[in-house]
Amino acid sequence: MFENRKLEILTLIGLFAFVVLFLIVSGQSGHEFSGSDDVGSQEIATLTGRPVASFTPLIPQYVPPSPEIESTLFALQATFGGVVVGLVIGYWLGQKKRINNA
Amino acid sequence: MEGFLPWQWCLVWWLIALPFIIVGVIELRSLLRKDREYLPLLGVSGAFIFILSALKLPSVTGSCSHPTGTGLSVMCFKPYITAVIGFIVLLFQALLLAHGGLSTLGANMDSMAIGGPIVGYGVYKLLKNTSINIYVTVFCVAAVADIVTYIITSFELALAYPAAVGGVMASFTAFFAIFAITQIPLSIIEGLVLALVFKYIIQLKPDLIEKLGVFSKKQIESALGATTGVPLEKV
Repeated sequence: MFENRKLEILTLIGLFAFVVLFLIVSGQSGHEFSGSDDVGSQEIATLTGRPVASFTPLIPQYVPPSPEIESTLFALQATFGGVVVGLVIGYWLGQKKRINNA
Repeated sequence: MEGFLPWQWCLVWWLIALPFIIVGVIELRSLLRKDREYLPLLGVSGAFIFILSALKLPSVTGSCSHPTGTGLSVMCFKPYITAVIGFIVLLFQALLLAHGGLSTLGANMDSMAIGGPIVGYGVYKLLKNTSINIYVTVFCVAAVADIVTYIITSFELALAYPAAVGGVMASFTAFFAIFAITQIPLSIIEGLVLALVFKYIIQLKPDLIEKLGVFSKKQIESALGATTGVPLEKV
């Protein structure tokens, strides 16, 4: 029964390996799991000898006032994508059903 | 990373990105005028860029980054239209999330919406007419588009901040270690997920993929035959 599900199984194995890798890495000390952008900013600060805080936006921008609000906005972005995917897949499924019934 | 690129570089990257956006908008208009049936597929490919670029995932380097999701779009709609979709996602993140900014938008477009997808498209062109399984092709395109995005980011930063000792190459190596190494496991996962999504798309809409010329009827049929065991007409 699993012959037709090779890709699904492979993807699950991949995701599982990813989680295990994360658990191993997070078990070691010294990892903050900050964004690679922040690590990159640190690197720029090191290269230029200027503190990170001295880099100010060239164009003023809205900054989410707290991590909570930021995560809400990111969740909103993903939700929007998810709604569109579900909508289209549903539309296609309905289309196919109509054609098959006709 | 608004503020981290000197304005001269911001301008350079914006100027490179602009023509892609303009041609992309023109292509997008003519595509949708030709056939509205493409709109749902466009929505799905765009939606995966929205979803995947919102997910910041942990990686082996002990920092987090997000996949890009551009592989699907670039295969179905080619690089120009992908640039437009990528632009919309990046604009959203720059305006509301302070994730990137308006001045660095050009640089971010060149890496995520243009450069990564173009190299992914090159991989697609290379593998398209070979006997390689189309899911493997999708995997490679998505993973390559993802990882190249971050290689370009490293390059953009290295050009702006050459190291005192070793110059551009030395700082490229440093940024590469931060961005691209982090991205390796993420791009593998992205490749797997998008290959799976592609499988569901061709199960539902094989005619659309064929009409766009993404893969030939024979390739789609053999992939569907391998996954469902029934001929295309009965799927």
